[in-house]
Parts: sequence; C-alpha cells; structure tokens
Amino acid sequence: MLWLFALIAGVLFGLYYGLAALGLNLIFGVMRMVNLAHGDVIMLGGFAAVLLFDHFGVNPLITVLLVIPPSLLVGYLTYYLLGRRVQRSRDPEMMSLVMFFGVSQVIEAVAVIAFGNNEASITSAVFGTRPFSIAGQGVPGAWLVSAGVGLVALVLLFLYLYRTSLGRATRAIMSSPDEARAVGVNPDRISALTFGIGVGLAAIAGILSLFMIGGTTPSEGVDLTVTAFAVIVLGGLGSPMGTFLGGIVFGLALMFTQTYAPVWSGFAPFAILLVIMLLRPTGLLGRTVRSV
Amino acid sequence: MVASPALQVSGLTRSFGGLPALAGVDLELRPGEVVGLLGPNGSGKTTLINVVSGVYRPTSGRVELLGHDATGQAPERLVRLGLNRTFQTPRPFRPLTVLENVQVALRHGRDAAQSPEEILELCGLGGQGGLPAESLNSSQQKRLDLARALATAPEVLLVDELAAGMRHDELDGAAELLRQLAAAGRALLVVEHLMGFVRQVTDRVVVLNAGTTIFAGSLEEASQDPHVVEVFLGA
Amino acid sequence: MSSVAQRLREGAGAVGRRPRRQMVGDVLLVVVPPAGFLVASLVYNNQLLLLTMMVYVALAQGLNVIFGFTGYLPFGYVGFFGAGAYGTALSVHFLHAPIALAVLLGGLAGLLVAALLSPLLRLTGAYFAIASLAAAEALYYLISNPQLTAVTNGPYGVNLASVYNSGAAYLAAVVLVGVAMLCVVWVRRSHFGMSLRAIRADPLAARLAGVNVVRARTFAWLISATLAGLAGAIYAWAVSVFYPEAVFDLSISVFAIVFALFGGVGTVLGPLLGAVILYGVYNYIGVSQPQDFQLIYGVLIVLIVLFLPNGLLSIRLRRLWRGR
Repeated sequence: MLWLFALIAGVLFGLYYGLAALGLNLIFGVMRMVNLAHGDVIMLGGFAAVLLFDHFGVNPLITVLLVIPPSLLVGYLTYYLLGRRVQRSRDPEMMSLVMFFGVSQVIEAVAVIAFGNNEASITSAVFGTRPFSIAGQGVPGAWLVSAGVGLVALVLLFLYLYRTSLGRATRAIMSSPDEARAVGVNPDRISALTFGIGVGLAAIAGILSLFMIGGTTPSEGVDLTVTAFAVIVLGGLGSPMGTFLGGIVFGLALMFTQTYAPVWSGFAPFAILLVIMLLRPTGLLGRTVRSV
Repeated sequence: MVASPALQVSGLTRSFGGLPALAGVDLELRPGEVVGLLGPNGSGKTTLINVVSGVYRPTSGRVELLGHDATGQAPERLVRLGLNRTFQTPRPFRPLTVLENVQVALRHGRDAAQSPEEILELCGLGGQGGLPAESLNSSQQKRLDLARALATAPEVLLVDELAAGMRHDELDGAAELLRQLAAAGRALLVVEHLMGFVRQVTDRVVVLNAGTTIFAGSLEEASQDPHVVEVFLGA
Repeated sequence: MSSVAQRLREGAGAVGRRPRRQMVGDVLLVVVPPAGFLVASLVYNNQLLLLTMMVYVALAQGLNVIFGFTGYLPFGYVGFFGAGAYGTALSVHFLHAPIALAVLLGGLAGLLVAALLSPLLRLTGAYFAIASLAAAEALYYLISNPQLTAVTNGPYGVNLASVYNSGAAYLAAVVLVGVAMLCVVWVRRSHFGMSLRAIRADPLAARLAGVNVVRARTFAWLISATLAGLAGAIYAWAVSVFYPEAVFDLSISVFAIVFALFGGVGTVLGPLLGAVILYGVYNYIGVSQPQDFQLIYGVLIVLIVLFLPNGLLSIRLRRLWRGR
C-alpha cells in the first residue's frame, strides 16, 4: 500500500507547501515583486523556533503566534526602506528581483555567521510519539499538526481578504492598482501590511518545516524560494486559493517521487517547475506569465 | 472597376474576460483610400486596431490582408505581409536615436525604397536623426511612430489618433502627409476625434458603437444618420 | 533657433565622423584586456588567481550580453559554466579528445543546454530569471546523481590530471577574454545589438518594426551561454580536479551578476572593470570565510540597485557631463 501512503503524505505535505508559498504569492499579487528572500525568511522562522525551544522550552505552536508581531514589523520596514524605493525605479520587475536576491544573500550569510553552517532541529516528539492512523496508514502526529496549521492559516487569510475592509482593499489593489487608488485605497499602507503578512506566513511555514523537512540550515533558502515559486506558478500567480491547490499537486508529485524513485527527489522540484513553465505557464488557475 | 480590398475585416469579435470589446465588426479598405474610424470612447476603435495588427488574437471572425488570411497572425508576420500601425500613446524606442528607430524597422521590415533620412524628412523630422527619441515632444514622437511604420513599407496603415495634441500648423502637414500616402496607393484607416481633420483627410468613414459597425459611408451621410447622431450625442 | 539647428548639424557631423575613431577604440577594447592579462602573468606569480579573474571577466561579459542587452537576467547562469566544465571532462574521458577540442566542446555543451532551454525566453523577465535558476539546479542534481556515476562520476567529481597544463590553460583564458570582449563590442555596435536595444525598450513596438523578438533573444542567449560554457571548460582544465557542487555553485552566478552590475550592464567596459576591481579587492582584502564575502556582495547588490542602478560607468559619464 505504498501508493496510499504516498497519497496521504502528499496531501499533508501539500498543505504545508501551500502555506510555504502563500506569502510569496500574496506579496507578488499586491506589489508585482518576487520576494527572492522568501525562502530565507522560512529558514529564519525555523531557527526562531529552535532557539526558543532550546533556551526557553517554548512549544513550536506558541512560536507560531510569537513570530507574527516581529514579522509584521520586518515587513513594514522592508517595504518602506527597500520595496517602495525599488518599485519606483526604472525597471521595477527586474530591479526588485535583483535587490531581493541581494537581501537573500545577506540573510543567508548572517545566518551562517550567527548559527553556524549546521542543521538545527526540534525533536518531533513535542507533538507526541505515537503515529496517527489514517485509512490504515501510520502518519506522524507532527505532519497532521503542520497540515492543520496550514489549513487554519488559509482560512484566516480568506476571512481577512473577504470579510474585512483592509482585505477588500488588498484585493482591489491585486486586481487593479490604479482603480484602487482612484477609490481612495492607500497603496503604501496596504503594501506594507501585505509584506508583513507575507513575511509572517513564511516564518510560520519555517517553524513547520522543522517537522516536515526534518530541520533547517542557513543555506536552504534558495531551494525553498524555488520550491515556493514552483508551487505558486502551479497554482496560478496572484491566486491565494490556487496556491493551496498548487501545493497539493506539488506535494503529491514529490511524495510519489520519494516513494518510487528516491534518488531523484532532489531533482524533482526543479524539473516540475521547468515543465510547468514550459507547458502551462498560466498555472492551473491563473493569469499568463508569457510575454510573446 | 473597383480595386480589390487591401484589408477586409468580417465578423470580427474579441472579448476580455467575457466582456465583448468587439462584437462583430465588418470593414473594408481599398488601395488609395483613407477611411476614418469614428465612434465614442470605448466603442472599440483601438481594440480593432490592436486585433487587426496582431497585438490581440480575435475571438472569432476573419481578417484578410492583400489576399492572405491574416487572422490572428503575429505582428512581425503581419508587418512582412504589408501592414503596420501607429499608437495612440506613441511608443518609439526611447533610448535609441531617432535615426536608429527608423533603421531598426528598415532592416527588419519589407524593403522600403527610401533611405531613413528621406522617411524622417517626410514625417517632418528631418535633421533630428541624431537626437535620442526620448528627447522628442509627444507630437514628434507620434510622427516618429509613423516614420517607423513607414520604414516597413506597409500597403495598409492603421493610424491611431495622429492629430490629437498637435498644434494647428502641424495639423495641415499631417493631413497632407496622409493624403500623399494614399495617393501613392496605400490604404489607410485613421482613428481621429478632430472632425475638421477627419473631413480634411478621409474619403469615407466607418462608425463603431459598442463593438459593432453601425454605419459605413460618407461623413456627410453619417452626420445625418439618426443612429449615428444618437450615439454621438448620447441621447 | 539657429543655434539649435547648428547644434543638430554638428551632432549629425559627429555621427558621420565617428566610425574611424570608434573602430580604433573598439579594436583597443578587444586587444588591450587580454594583453594586460598576458603582461600581468609576467609580473605577478599567482597565476590561478589571474586565471580565475579572467574566467569571471568572461562570465560577467557573457551575462552582460543577455542581461545588459535584453534585460533577461538568468540567475541560473552558473548552469552553463557547470555544463562547460562537465562537457570538457566527458570529452576527455569518453571521446579522448585533445584538450583544445575538449574546451571547445565544453563551450558547445553550454550552447546545447541553452538551446534546450530556449523556450524559457518566451516567459517574461522575472519568471525567466527563476526558471533559469531551477534549470541550473536541475542540471546539478542530474549530473551529481549517484545513478549516473558511470557517466558523470556522480557526486564524486572529476579528475582531469592527465591533461593538466597550467601555462596552456592560462593562454586559453587570455584568448577567452579577447573573445568575450569581441562579442560585447560586436553586440554593442552591430545592427543585431540595435535590435536588441529596441526589443528591450519596447518588445511590442520591436515586433511592429518587423523584429523577430524571440529569435533575437535566443541568439543573445546562445552567445551568452557559449561564453559561460567556455569559461567553465577552461576553469575545469586549470583546476583539474573538481566536484559537481564546485562548478554549479550559485555564488558563481552571484559573482557574475555583481561584477556586471557594479561596472554597468549594457556597456562594453563596465563588466570588465567590475570583475577586475571587485575580484581584485576581494583577494586583496583576503576574505577567507565564504559567508563574509557573501554578506559583502549581498549588501553591495542592494546598494547598487538602490543607489547606482546603472553601474560604475554611469558616475563617470555623469561627471563628464557636468564638467562640460
């Protein structure tokens, strides 16, 4: 029953990957910028959980709540110090990409200097040692917790986007910045807040990655960014719901590769991204990324 | 004996996200004539130019260019077949010089008989070849758009609001240039809001409303057609 | 009014006069840098450092061809470098090719990978940048895969000691610098380069000028990848023993991007100056920990984007302008 396990694990991992990509997609939707330091924020979230657990015994689920205020602050500052400036440059799309590439390099280097180039992890025993049984397949409790947090984050994000005035303004900017400005939405305020939410979602995903990937290392940021990008391209750029669909497709593909061809599991995410970009660049439910 | 059409558009439609911007346009351009394309804002004039010039693919309908099926062809292919256009908001290659703008088109388009300097002279940009295109004012940029289009030796030329924003002394020159191009056997479709300019330049007009052709005939007849009058006065 | 006309006429005159003087300048731009590296090897004894610097000059110029002239930035540029290194190694091991031919085949490997990836050029800039990164990573995981040990020696790396010849490798790198300069000068001056600048300014308008946008970009992409492939080939020859993670290291892309941006992309001289100055300073300071220069270069990238988006050469031009 290998396939059944791969199926269940694929869906659970899919929810995690959806969460890991959600912030990237949200920031892209509002600012038309790809935050190439996204994976590095995920990595930092992981280290935050490890440090708080090792030194103060803080449960990672508590850390999920603790990272939110600093993330919002970091997002605000990043937007006003870097994002807004580069958005006004001659070629914002490429220049923001290059700049966040630099930011990514800085974060990675600082993390190596601060934490050493080693893997850090928390024992998954914090969520109980007994595997849960789903359809006869034993699944680690930590996977269920991670998938659950992913679902909760998705529901909260949707309530925010569809039930609050700030959320409605955010969606207005996502669909048409000029019209949103015309009806009195302040794009700076929304962008800064969205940047904060995007950073927060990444940090939360980083905490969960300790249990899904098994640990965090300073150099994993680039791979995580590419993975998250693959997920949002799969699900459609600028479509938060699509991100979760993309995450599940990606999770299933990854789990089936890991089950049946484990040597190729490092190769798979990149190959998947390339194939989607070449065959279906609009994603499963999204807008076009082709120019000519 | 009437010449066969240079451009024939039949039943052309184009929707954006379910909203029809063109809902069945029919149009015919013959060599040597200038046709005015009129209609209120949002009636689909620029969309029609975009679809015919290959910027957008049509949702349905047919475009025939000089006897070839040109429906949904890529812009560079249409240029080779003998069609070009200008933009309502001019789009010269801003970092290139005026001369280079024309040279690029001369090199890649159909063989134009004229030199780049002659084309610039024709469009009232003589002697300005060495300037960067971004230093031109908007009226000059519009004429550079036109010069670049002419450098590809088009048989069919779609001109989107050339006169808007021009000074009075520039208008006569522009009108004369368009008439001259038609006299050389080209077919021109001209979108314009200035009625004086339309009267001066066009042989006949086509009126669009809500993405469909509602009138084709002379400007005089158009001004007496109750439907056209209603559309323009917004009754 | 008459003074404007006069100035215009003078401007036109300058265009007419320029070719001969410009041609001399262009020849100097192609000949002087390699000659400089030849002379440098006589007075400075760390040949591997100079060779690596030349490799980075070629990489920065190769990146300049695609990024500076089309606006497409391949973060995965290192993929062609790695393809070149492995192309050379496999040619030596399996075809028993003489090393000169093996180096050329390394360049060909870069070209072939680029041809295979050319459909990516249909994507818009940001997606292209990230897709190219994924392509480089995929290539790395492919080549270093233990299941391919029989072909690529998988994760265990390559040994080219049988063809080691540091003097000849150095000369090859000197030639490569000349070739890289020639490519950029040609792109800068030719009609092809003019089309690329037109495309960069406005792709749609370029298509309406009759330019086949995808074909022009693809051509620049192939030139750029071949330069990186040759750079990887010569680097592999010079270091002779290497592991896959060394020739697919993302920091090679970072270096090429930083050097090109620092000097100024879209210019002929900028990437050369960027590579020589920054790689020289980096070695002079003697930063020993990789994370330290990663930090420095990361900060540098951010600062360049915010304060010097057109590179070092833009300062020089701006000052000359004011001096007039």
